[in-house]
Amino acid sequence: MTGDNQAARFFSDMAANAEKMAKATQLFGQTRDEDVAIGTTPKHLVMRRDKVELFRYEPMAEATATTPVLLAYGLIGRYTMADLQPDRSLVRALLSKGLDLWLIDWGQPGRTERWLTIDDYVDDYIDAAVDRICKETGHDRITLLGICEGGVFTTCYAALQPEKVKNLVLTITPIDFHADTKGTAAHHGFLNIWTRSLDPEDVDKLVDTYGTLPGEFMSSVFSMMTPMRSLTKYNVDLIDVVDDEAKFMNFLRMEKWLADRPHHPGEAAKQWLKELYQENRLVDGSFELSGRRVDLTSITAPVLNVFALDDHIIPPDTSRALGAKVGSTDYTEIPLPGGHVGLFVSSKSQGKLSKSIADWLIARDAVSASEG
Amino acid sequence: MSEKNGPNPAQPESVPQWTDLWRSFIESSRQVTDAWSSSMAPFMLARLLEQPAGFAAGNEMSEAIEKMAQGPRLADVWDIDRKMALVFSAWMEMRQRLASYNAVTAAPWTEASKRFMDAMSAAGGGNSPLPDWRAVFAKWSEISNEELIRNQRTEGFLQAQKELLQSGLKLRSRQDDVAEAASTMFGVPSRKDFDEVTRQLTELRREVRALNRQVSAQERGPRSARIKAGGAVVKAKTQSRSQ
Repeated sequence: MTGDNQAARFFSDMAANAEKMAKATQLFGQTRDEDVAIGTTPKHLVMRRDKVELFRYEPMAEATATTPVLLAYGLIGRYTMADLQPDRSLVRALLSKGLDLWLIDWGQPGRTERWLTIDDYVDDYIDAAVDRICKETGHDRITLLGICEGGVFTTCYAALQPEKVKNLVLTITPIDFHADTKGTAAHHGFLNIWTRSLDPEDVDKLVDTYGTLPGEFMSSVFSMMTPMRSLTKYNVDLIDVVDDEAKFMNFLRMEKWLADRPHHPGEAAKQWLKELYQENRLVDGSFELSGRRVDLTSITAPVLNVFALDDHIIPPDTSRALGAKVGSTDYTEIPLPGGHVGLFVSSKSQGKLSKSIADWLIARDAVSASEG
Repeated sequence: MSEKNGPNPAQPESVPQWTDLWRSFIESSRQVTDAWSSSMAPFMLARLLEQPAGFAAGNEMSEAIEKMAQGPRLADVWDIDRKMALVFSAWMEMRQRLASYNAVTAAPWTEASKRFMDAMSAAGGGNSPLPDWRAVFAKWSEISNEELIRNQRTEGFLQAQKELLQSGLKLRSRQDDVAEAASTMFGVPSRKDFDEVTRQLTELRREVRALNRQVSAQERGPRSARIKAGGAVVKAKTQSRSQ
C-alpha cells in the first residue's frame, strides 16, 4: 500500500469514527435513567433494619434444594452486579436452577452510618437476617453466599455462629490480604499495594474527614487499576458498540452499576483497610468482632470457594488461602477463568458460576436430606 | 526514487496523525461524558454533589473567601480570617503536591511514546503496510497500560500519591474548621454535632438490640431447656428400646 493510500485510509477511518462518536453523543442525550434498568429480578421486601433490607426472590423453577440461600454483597459497590440484566444474572440463573434465594441489601450508607463497624454488619444485620429467614422457612440453618467483602462478612459469621450455617459459598473473597505478593500477573493486586502504602493514620484521617470512605474515592482507585481501559471507555469502546443497540445498552448497564458506588461506613472502612488489608488479621486469627476472635478453624460447614483466575482486584491467591485455614472437612475450590466483575457479567462466564454453585448446593442438600 | 527503496512517506506522518487521533478521542470522551451526565441528571448529579471538594483544584476555596469577605462583621471575625489563612496555606501545599504527583504520573507516557514509536517503525519497515488504526491503537493501549501499571507500583508514585492524599485531607479538614466556625457564629448545628448525634444513636441502638437479644434468649431459655430435656428423654427411650 502506498503512503497516499495509507493516509487516505487513515482519514477515512477517522471520519467514520467521528460519525460514530456523534451518534453515541446523540444516543446518550436520548437515554434516560429509567431506560437503563439493573437488578430487575422480581423480589419482595421481608424485613427492614435501619437502611438494610432483606428481600426474598420470587421462585422461577421447581425447588431442587430446600435450604434457603442468603446472598450478601460487600459494602464497596452494590449487589446489582449479580443481577445486571436478565441474560447476565447470577441471581436469575440460581433461581432458574430451583434455589430459594434471599438478598441482604446494605442500601446507600452515608455519614449517618459513620459509626457502624463490621461487628454491626456481621453480628447484627446478618444475624437478624439469618434469624428472620429461619423463622420464615422453618429451617434452623441456612446457606450463606458471599461476594467479595460480603464473602468476608459471611466467613466471619460462619466462624462465629457455626450452628446457624449449613453451607458457606464464597465468590471472589479475600482471606489472606497479603497473598498478592505471591502473584505473577503485573496488573494484579494494586489495591493491596496501595493500601499498604498508606499510614494507618491516613486511613483514620480520611474517614474522620469525610465520615465515610467516599464511594467516588474508591471509584478513582479502581479506575487507576485499569488505566487505559478507563481512558478509552468513552471513546474506543463506544465506537465498537454504538451501532448495536443491545451492546450499547449492556455498556450503559455496566456504567450504571459502576456509578452506583455507595460510601463505605466509616468505622467499618477503618477495620477493612487497617485490620484486614494492612494488618492481615483474618488469616492470622487475630481479627475480632464484638470481642470475639474470628477463628477460621471454627468453620465446620461445607465450604465452596470460587475465585476468578484473572481477578486484578482480589488476586486468586488471596482467596485460595482459605483452604489451609478452614476447619471444615468438606472444602471445595473452583477457580474459574475471568476477572473480578467479568465472572458475574461477561457473556463467556454466564452459566459456569451458577452451575458450579447450584450443583454443589443441590448435592449437599440431597446428602443432608438422606441423613435426616 | 522507487517506493520500494525510499523512505515510506506515511511512516513519519503516522505519529502526528496518531497524536491527533488520541486528542480527538479524549475530546470525544469528554463530550460523551457531558451528554451522559445531563441525560442521567437525577442520578448522576446527586453523586456529583457529593464529590469530595478537598481533592478539587481550589475553586471552592476562592468562593469561600469571597463569601466570607461579604459576610457579617462580627466580634470573632478575626478567627475566621485566621482559619481562612490556614485554608489558603493548605491549598498552596496541595497544589505543590499535585504538581509533584503530576510529574510522577507523566513519566510513563514518555516511555510509552518511545516504545510505541519504536514498535511503529518496526511495523512499517520494509514492504509491509502500516496496520489499520485498530491495530495501531491496540498496540498503543497495550504499551501504555504496561508502563502506567509499572509506574503505579514504584515507590515514587505511591509516595507522591500518599502525599497528595494527605495534603488533600489537610485542606478539607481546614475547610471544615471554617465551616465549623461559621456554624457556631450563626448558631447552626455543625458537622461535628451531627457526628456526635449519630454516634450516640448508633451506640443507643446497639444497647437496645443487645437488651432485646438478652430478653429473647431468656424467654427461649426455659423453652429450649424443656425441648432439650424432651429430646433427651426421646433419645434415652430410643436407646433403651434398641438395647
